[in-house]
Amino acid sequence: MMLKLKYAIITLLIISSHNMMAQSKTIQGVITDPSGFPLPGASINVEGTQNSASTDFDGKYSLKGVNPTDKITYSYVGLISQTITVGSRSIIDVTLVQSTQNLNEVVIAYGTQKRAKVTGAISTVSSKDIAAVPITNAESALQGRAAGVTVVNGAPGSSPAVSIRGLATMGNSAPLYVIDGVLAGNLSGLSPNDIDSISVLKDASTTALYGSKAFNGVIVVTTKKGKKGPGQLTFSTYVGGQTVTKRYDVLNTQQYLQYAKDLGSDLTARAAEFGNINTNWQDQIFQTGLMQDYNLSFSNGTETSTSRYSAEYMKQEGAIVNTGFERYSFRANNTQDIGKLKVGSNIGVSFSTTNPERSAGGRTLLEHSIKMAPYFPIYNANNLGGYQGPSAIDGNDAENPVRVANLGYQKINGLSIIGNIFAELEIYKGLKFRSQVSLDYYTSKDHTFVPSFQDGSYHKQAFSTTNETNGQGQTIVFDNSLTYKTTIAGKHNIEVLGVITKIDGKSQTLTAGSRYSISNEIDQLRYNEGSLGSANFVEKNIGYIARINYDYNEKYLLAVSGRRDASSRFGANNRWGNFYSVALGWNIAKESFMENSIFSTLKLRASTGTTGNDRIDNYQYSATLIANYNYPIGGANAPGVSLGVASNPDLKWESKLDRNIGLDFSLFDEKFTGSFEYFNNKSSDILFAVPLPASVGSAGGGTQIQNIADVKVSGFEVSLGYNDRKGDFTWSAIANLGTSKNEVTGLAPGVTSVLGGPSARAGLENFSRLEVGQPLFYFYGYQTNGIYQNQAEVDAVFGPGQTTIKPGDIKIIDRDGNKIINSDDKTNIGNPYPDFTYGLNLNAAYKNFDFNCFISGVQGNDIYNANTFDLEGMNRLFNASTAVLDRAIVVNGVVTNPSATLPRAQGADINWSSANQRYIEDGSYTRLKNIALGYTFSGDAFKAYFSKIRFYVSGQNLITVTKYDGLDPEIGRADANANSAGIDLGRYPQPKSVIFGLDVTF
Amino acid sequence: MKKIKYILIVLSGVLTITSCDTGELELTNPNTLSPETFFKSESQVQSSVNASYAGLQTRGLYGRNFSFAMDLMAHDALGNPQLEGNKKPFQDFSFNGGNDIIQYYWEACYIGISRANFVLDNEAKINALPNSVLSQEKKNKYLGEAHFLRAYYYFLLVKRFGDLPIYKTGTIIGNARSPKTDVYALIEEDLVFASQNLLPRATEAAGRANKEAAYAYLGKVLLYEKKYDEALVAFNSVTGFSLEDKGSFYNNFMAETEHGKESIFEIEFDEKNGTGDQWGAVGDSQGTGFEESTLRGQEYGNLSWYNVYPSDDLLDSYEAGDERFGDTFYVPGSSYLKGTKVMLASNFTTSAGIRRAGWKKYQNYYIREDEATRSSINFKVMRYADVLLMKAECENQRAGGSQTAAIAFIKEVRDRAGLTTAIAPTKEAVFTAIIHERKVEFAGEQSRFDDIIRWGIANTELQGTGFTAGKSELWPIPNRETSSNPNIKPSDNNPGY
Repeated sequence: MMLKLKYAIITLLIISSHNMMAQSKTIQGVITDPSGFPLPGASINVEGTQNSASTDFDGKYSLKGVNPTDKITYSYVGLISQTITVGSRSIIDVTLVQSTQNLNEVVIAYGTQKRAKVTGAISTVSSKDIAAVPITNAESALQGRAAGVTVVNGAPGSSPAVSIRGLATMGNSAPLYVIDGVLAGNLSGLSPNDIDSISVLKDASTTALYGSKAFNGVIVVTTKKGKKGPGQLTFSTYVGGQTVTKRYDVLNTQQYLQYAKDLGSDLTARAAEFGNINTNWQDQIFQTGLMQDYNLSFSNGTETSTSRYSAEYMKQEGAIVNTGFERYSFRANNTQDIGKLKVGSNIGVSFSTTNPERSAGGRTLLEHSIKMAPYFPIYNANNLGGYQGPSAIDGNDAENPVRVANLGYQKINGLSIIGNIFAELEIYKGLKFRSQVSLDYYTSKDHTFVPSFQDGSYHKQAFSTTNETNGQGQTIVFDNSLTYKTTIAGKHNIEVLGVITKIDGKSQTLTAGSRYSISNEIDQLRYNEGSLGSANFVEKNIGYIARINYDYNEKYLLAVSGRRDASSRFGANNRWGNFYSVALGWNIAKESFMENSIFSTLKLRASTGTTGNDRIDNYQYSATLIANYNYPIGGANAPGVSLGVASNPDLKWESKLDRNIGLDFSLFDEKFTGSFEYFNNKSSDILFAVPLPASVGSAGGGTQIQNIADVKVSGFEVSLGYNDRKGDFTWSAIANLGTSKNEVTGLAPGVTSVLGGPSARAGLENFSRLEVGQPLFYFYGYQTNGIYQNQAEVDAVFGPGQTTIKPGDIKIIDRDGNKIINSDDKTNIGNPYPDFTYGLNLNAAYKNFDFNCFISGVQGNDIYNANTFDLEGMNRLFNASTAVLDRAIVVNGVVTNPSATLPRAQGADINWSSANQRYIEDGSYTRLKNIALGYTFSGDAFKAYFSKIRFYVSGQNLITVTKYDGLDPEIGRADANANSAGIDLGRYPQPKSVIFGLDVTF
Repeated sequence: MKKIKYILIVLSGVLTITSCDTGELELTNPNTLSPETFFKSESQVQSSVNASYAGLQTRGLYGRNFSFAMDLMAHDALGNPQLEGNKKPFQDFSFNGGNDIIQYYWEACYIGISRANFVLDNEAKINALPNSVLSQEKKNKYLGEAHFLRAYYYFLLVKRFGDLPIYKTGTIIGNARSPKTDVYALIEEDLVFASQNLLPRATEAAGRANKEAAYAYLGKVLLYEKKYDEALVAFNSVTGFSLEDKGSFYNNFMAETEHGKESIFEIEFDEKNGTGDQWGAVGDSQGTGFEESTLRGQEYGNLSWYNVYPSDDLLDSYEAGDERFGDTFYVPGSSYLKGTKVMLASNFTTSAGIRRAGWKKYQNYYIREDEATRSSINFKVMRYADVLLMKAECENQRAGGSQTAAIAFIKEVRDRAGLTTAIAPTKEAVFTAIIHERKVEFAGEQSRFDDIIRWGIANTELQGTGFTAGKSELWPIPNRETSSNPNIKPSDNNPGY
């Protein structure tokens, strides 16, 4: 009996001790980000079990039934997950840090993908990156952060020019924007605060699903969604100023009078009339503009629904007077789960007002402010309109830039609605059907009013003018997709996607203008000397899409996709296009031989595929007539009709074959991360408006859209990141560098070269040329070699007798030695594309302080500085650069100042009108894009009211290192077209700005 | 089971909606007319002809640049300091193939030609119209206008560029240059057709080319080819015209007196139909939109931009008592604005000093104080005075011609100017008189440069101006052509360019 009892006790003890050992406990703690901010909605999961919890509003959690040996994974979207063995602890506070590598879940075409499974070239930018720099447009968030992506900003309210991996086309090279699945032309209606993540899809394996629209790459934007947990209210604001500090150094009144005298105009008395004053016209057009932004958002979620609402007001005064941008934007994102059905909508509405930079007489404000004589006062109360301008006596017809900028107004009012409604149904385990209708709708009203004025005998208008352009457009996309996701035998992961998409786009414009000579009081249109016109466009697309992703245990990856696409922009013969992609990946780090290695990620991937481009105007394949030629017969209008722009019934898709190899790695527990990419893309049948021989007399500038060129674009991209933490100090550095080299590999039969590019200035030749073996639209012109010092030097080149070129003129190199300078002497004088672009992003946090510094730059590109024409052209009397003081002075046929850097004033036509080297400059620069310091208040004193308050101060573009003489080397292109690459026509310069901001979470 | 059924119904419905008919992708452009359905009515035929006229108004031609380029080369006019850089080279002959004025001139002419060719390419369609829709006479006259305009543009071109690519039909393939004799042959052919098919002045609307204009230009072209006898025959067919009366010379240069008894062909402008986009690129050579005024008044006017002024050489060429002087120039003391105002010396001040005169021909100062609204005054490009002086030239030059007959023609012109000095009846004296008379009669009317080139006296007349014999007679083919036409290379350009 005793023995029995003894055993029983032992058994019990054992059991109880066993029980004691296995005794589950409850652990609790707070999950925060590195700045101490609590993370609500973070998930806590006991590895290998269903036991999980999520944090509450204050980032607190509590998890029952945890054993000391359990491993708990703490994760939060966008941050690196941590796994901690419980041990004896019952309170576990965790700080989750952001991966420098990027988000774990990556947004891709028609879905998301685990980063480990990604086989294509994707750069991502998170909401945190976006929040680090106060920006007025969402595109700017990409600048310097995504390797191979260039972003160039323009005037306030204009969409920045974005290009991915250099130029592959010659028309519009803007990427496709996809906002929550809605195809959009730009991100202008979107508040940067509403963006959760941006994925830049760079190779065909990621873009081919967008087929004919994906040629220039795709930028997929996901807006912030509501999060499960109690409601969270955030408010953020910033206020600051922006200004342009650089000026062109132009002649003052005294210098100008002497210069004018040398050019044959004695203006001493005229200047005295105005009191010999000295007006700095550039100072008059640049200003310190005020920027302000207020953003309020509310997010919450229940077990079955999420929602997020936000509103923003942003106002930005430009760095040029009377320019600016104002936007109200609203967004509501909702989801609702109803059993197996999930429905939701994401809708953003914005209203904007833009005051663009104004121009007059075909010249920009900057051009006028350079050329305007300095002895004029700005205002003259005796003149109609109140401004002073030149008369014939002044011999200089530049317009008063202050009048051009300030008299009357130009306002562009825009409304944009971008949104979708979707339903998602899980039909069967792993099989989901999704239907989505998306809308991109805009209206814009561009209204200009200029009252009557008279500045002098040159510039006057006896009537007021009112012009208005109304535009309206809508694109409706209807997507229906099926996805099936399954795992076979625990290792074969398969995901299949099928989509049918249909795009219906419509747009219309209505333009009208009128004049009124009775009064300046009415700024509206009236039936008086009016003009009127409207146009209407329709575009339709149909696409069938399929994708299969397969991986073996996340170790070996395969992705295959295809799209069959039709576009109404092409004739029946070439309407359909097929696009495909194949990608392979190998997660080497998951191999057994890599166990315990320093690598947490080591992945090799390769992809190839095709995309297309239908970015041409509608209806180009059909021949049309133009009914807009007019001639007065007997005082009445006789309307004329003749052949329109040369049509091309054989137009077909531009197509591009992408090849990409990438290597991703992270070492030492994600401390060091990085990736290398190499791409080699071939574009074929590139569409371009080819200039026809002028003598065939074709309409519309004499061009025909043709599939004219083949182009090869190749390059490397490297990004490297490092992050570390020592006590309260955390820091990270991310550097990226991209190269992109393009070369024309073929031109259509019969075409040897094409001259293009925008007309830089009236009277100045085009510079940009297309030729096999050269970069797209390289600079083509005359080489120069100093200045002819005397007649003997001139005659040595041309022989005696000619009178066009004289001492003091530029020595243009007669390359073919035939003693005549003509187009045969032109050659490659510059490359508008950089050897590489780079960005360096530094982040640091110490206790409550946070710091960001961001540097970006380009190296090795040439800029064609058209402003040189105004500043140093000296073809007639205008105010000019002080450099003209060092022009060649010719006395009796000999240059008396041999060190002169500029040719003689008003010399041979070819000095200034020809495409030659004097306009080409090195465009390399390094720029401190942003530097910011923030402080977050914490402590119980605030806790009662706020969960977080952060103050910051930041500066943009404060330091720029460059040899470029223009106001701003950040040029990109003069317009959206490739043939304007590297041409500076007086682009709106990037201002310096200083901003104070406040972020509050309640 | 029921649930799945519903799902399938929904799914199949959705799929049907999306997998749509690809016929929807077949779109027609709602914004323009289609060539396939055109030439169905008189107004359509007429509009195709109107489009070719519209090319004359472009800034590349009479809208702006033509006056500058020709008057500066002739040294009728010289530039004030504010004259733009692309115009200055015409004064000193330093232009090259990159000059945009030369480019727009070339483009505007060839665009006018291609629009005329669009009409002629559809000759069969036009002739197929029932006579009830369009009478044969009208069909012929519209085709005649197209031939006239094509000849007009080719004549503008051949004088400036010599050998030309010839297009008799619409194409987008550039041709090589043909000898200028071939160009002249085509011009003659076109003008002969026009003279046979155009309506006479009496029945044609003012502003359209008429039979007499065709004969006048046929004569002029033949004169340029030195076919004096044939030219005279053509000129003799220009009937029903006379000079404006003595004392009314200025009727030739005002808006109210357009299409007067002296006027044979005019380039039409009418600002009340619209002044369009003053600086838009389409206006340089395309002639799109309502740009129905010329910048001439604003640019030449001494109360306006005053970009050019009459040269001393020209002012000094007038004989004492030549009444044309006061109708051609404003000088201090001239009255304007319907006689209510007087020009002061200060009205001729430029930054390079005070000029002796400003232009009065084609200025609006007779009714307006400023030119800011631009000008409606038509250019009288073929006046009866021109026909008279050309007839005189034919008589003087042709074998067996009569100097007396020639002097009679010149006398008609000189009488109107109030000049009585007799001309000696020798070939040399008559030729000298014609040189002088054309210079002063057509000052500022873009005539003199063509004259001194065809007479072969430019090298002496323009000595010291930068004119280079053997080069400056012609303009260079613009780079825009040599870079886009594989059949005309830079090395095919005119001598010296």
